[in-house]
Amino acid sequence: MSPACSENAPLKNIRVMDLSRVFAMPFAGANLADLGAEVIKIDTCQTQFMDTTRTITGPFPDNEPGERWWEQGGTFQNLNRGKRSLTLDLRNEASQQIIKDLVSVCDVVLENFTPRVMARFGLDYASLKAHKPDLIMVSNTGYGHSGPWSNFGAMASALEPTHGTGAFMGYMESGPEGCLVEGDVPNKMGNSYSDFLASWTALGALMGSLLRRARTGQGQWIDLAMYQTGTSVIGAGLLDFAFNDRRTQRIGNRHPFLSPHGVYSCQGHDQWVAIATRDDADWVAICQAIGQPELTSDDRFADPIARRQHQEALDAIITAWTSAQTSYQVMETLQQAGLPSGAVLTAKQALTDPQYIDRGFFETVHNPPEVELRDKGYVGRGWKFSKSEARIKGPAPQLGEANEYVLGELLGVDQARMQALTEDWTIGNLPEGGGAPGSVPLDEQVEIGSIVAYDADYLGLLPLE
Amino acid sequence: MPADLLNGFRVLDMGSGISAPWCAKILADYGAEVIKVETPGSGDLARRMGPFAGDDPNPEKSLTFLYLNTNKKSVTLDPSSVSGRKLLDRLLADADVLVDNYPPFVSKELGLDYASLSAVNPGLVVTSIAPFGQTGPYHDYQATDIVTYALSGLMYHSGDSDQPPLRNVLDQSFYVAGANGAAATQIALFARLGTGEGQHVDVSAAECLGAHLVQPLPYYNYMGAVKGRRPVRGAGFEELMPARDGYVAPSVQGSRPWEVIANLIGLEELLDEKFSTGAGRVAHGEELKELLTKGLAQWDRMPLFLASGEARLVFGMAQDAGDLFNCPHLEARDFFVEVDHPVVGQAKYPGMAVRLPGEPLTDSQPAPLLGQHNSEIFGQELGYSAQDLVSLRQLGVI
Repeated sequence: MSPACSENAPLKNIRVMDLSRVFAMPFAGANLADLGAEVIKIDTCQTQFMDTTRTITGPFPDNEPGERWWEQGGTFQNLNRGKRSLTLDLRNEASQQIIKDLVSVCDVVLENFTPRVMARFGLDYASLKAHKPDLIMVSNTGYGHSGPWSNFGAMASALEPTHGTGAFMGYMESGPEGCLVEGDVPNKMGNSYSDFLASWTALGALMGSLLRRARTGQGQWIDLAMYQTGTSVIGAGLLDFAFNDRRTQRIGNRHPFLSPHGVYSCQGHDQWVAIATRDDADWVAICQAIGQPELTSDDRFADPIARRQHQEALDAIITAWTSAQTSYQVMETLQQAGLPSGAVLTAKQALTDPQYIDRGFFETVHNPPEVELRDKGYVGRGWKFSKSEARIKGPAPQLGEANEYVLGELLGVDQARMQALTEDWTIGNLPEGGGAPGSVPLDEQVEIGSIVAYDADYLGLLPLE
Repeated sequence: MPADLLNGFRVLDMGSGISAPWCAKILADYGAEVIKVETPGSGDLARRMGPFAGDDPNPEKSLTFLYLNTNKKSVTLDPSSVSGRKLLDRLLADADVLVDNYPPFVSKELGLDYASLSAVNPGLVVTSIAPFGQTGPYHDYQATDIVTYALSGLMYHSGDSDQPPLRNVLDQSFYVAGANGAAATQIALFARLGTGEGQHVDVSAAECLGAHLVQPLPYYNYMGAVKGRRPVRGAGFEELMPARDGYVAPSVQGSRPWEVIANLIGLEELLDEKFSTGAGRVAHGEELKELLTKGLAQWDRMPLFLASGEARLVFGMAQDAGDLFNCPHLEARDFFVEVDHPVVGQAKYPGMAVRLPGEPLTDSQPAPLLGQHNSEIFGQELGYSAQDLVSLRQLGVI
């Protein structure tokens, strides 16, 4: 049990080996750490094989990778908070043996290598299970460990359309008579959506497996294919094909049967508010709220079917009203009238949003001075327990900070062997090879569209952390 | 399907629509016994949500409902009536979990708030899923999926940078909330092994999505930058691009040298050194996009996708519902399950999100008809007589 962890942390007696990289499984591991598990991240000193969130993902403080750049990435910190770090070099047999020894004192393993890699290292579930018979292991891949595509790699950005979400998301297009019709071009939720679906699914399947282990002593291998996870959340759409032969639904921000429904432009650059009208009462309420009660007797808008047919005209009327106000003003007025509406928040707005602040969603982490990160807020989680504790335990681990603890204390490796491992860079606290990643100036990032804007004085605009 | 991870646990699904029923379905797929508790007469709201089998808006034919409620039982009771509440309390006494998605003020009105429920069964885990959770200034805000998505901070990043933010896919906010709810419920059950006590799990759908901000958030609090929607100028890669029979998503990710990508697409001009670095691809973005468009136009989606996989690249392709339904890879993984429903008949349904090798694969049970298990649960299990059930029905309690 880690010292930062209280009696009420549900996973206080669970130890996790986290062999995973990038987003999906590291984030599942971060959630386990928040719940009190001791999560040991298997890091490496070899820069070219490091988790890319340590090396290139950034963002770096004030856009400048510092002297200890491999500890500074903001995304890395969010995804690896509260973990420990052991460096190894999985290409050598000594490291592979250490993994096997360590598995025998772990409860859970997380990994996301393509299937051939774990087998090549001799670290597939069958091999690891020999060292820990009741092991619970998540193998997260693009396409799973069976089937014709099983050895294909995957990244969320290209996987998302493959698992079908693009069939149900896209802007409308101009039709023959100038009115908008279902669009042809698929779109994406983006922001690595598929990865997060995998994080939540892994967490659920792991907990179910831990519950059964407590009951029966059995372990479990969880073969998590992100392709399949992404497909499971559009089941209603797939059944629409099975029963009705329908393949797509790209209707922008409209709704299949509610109207008006969409996002409307507000005061300021790229500011929007979402509005939905569920029924006749909502329709009357919105007409009153925007000061045009006479619309309720306009034949074009008599019922949701008519309103859907004339939604362009209706959207223009609503936009004329929203565009003179801020998104928060529109939201507050409409919510007071009992209508579903919400500002489309940027991350900057989310950081100061009253609901997020009231619920303490962003949790502050105190970083050690040598990492030069100041105190930072990181994303929490979408659930609160009335009794159990779930909170971020601390910053992401510095490279190899737990080498002594894991090898010496947990595995009893002697000093001579530790020295040998240090000499060939298997263990260490510094990267071997490669230097700090380059950074693109923020003005240039605005120009190429990788960011919308930036505030040089952002520190003063953030709530006190 | 279902698996046996949660054998022996009983879950009352008091939910309606998507979030809580999806949460309970995941628990059912893991082997819990899930009993839906529905409103007499109308039932779960999803029964009135489209699409419908054969486009026939019959409450037993909602495809959203049929998908979200496989492997569950259904009883009906009105918890606001005295006899209905008595029935519910009997069910609560033997349950491990109750999942709901009432607006917070409604659970108090109905006496279904955590304090009242735990008084009946202190071991009960109560998972309440709401758009903004049970507390805070927005907790009673009205919300649908698009409003939840907007206020989470995620919607701003969806869609194209020269267009408005774009709504997600098929009410995704509530699927994300349901998956989080299923994980959190099991965490509370795990904690109960040590404490013997149940507890309240307060799930906010907007926060479940907000947790996805692991990149946009540090962009702001590390360097003051506001991340927006794609595409980044001149990219073409990681975006949807037209191929001969639809759209593909070419990708430069996956740590392979540029020439592998250029050779795969098969256009000699692409081999130019100037495209081989990320900075070069941005600097020569317009030219690259043109060449990429030309190269991809020679390909159909599937052959390009398969060739990419063989070359250890990570290209994607846009698939629609029909493509997925007929996907050889999903077929080989036994993803789809046969379900036979008394009203809509037999069909293949999408199966579990994960594969649990070694688990017994058994048939999935169809979503229940409204109140289908009233006699089994109230009669055989709780001991109400056939006559009692008739009077309860006449009183509108069940």
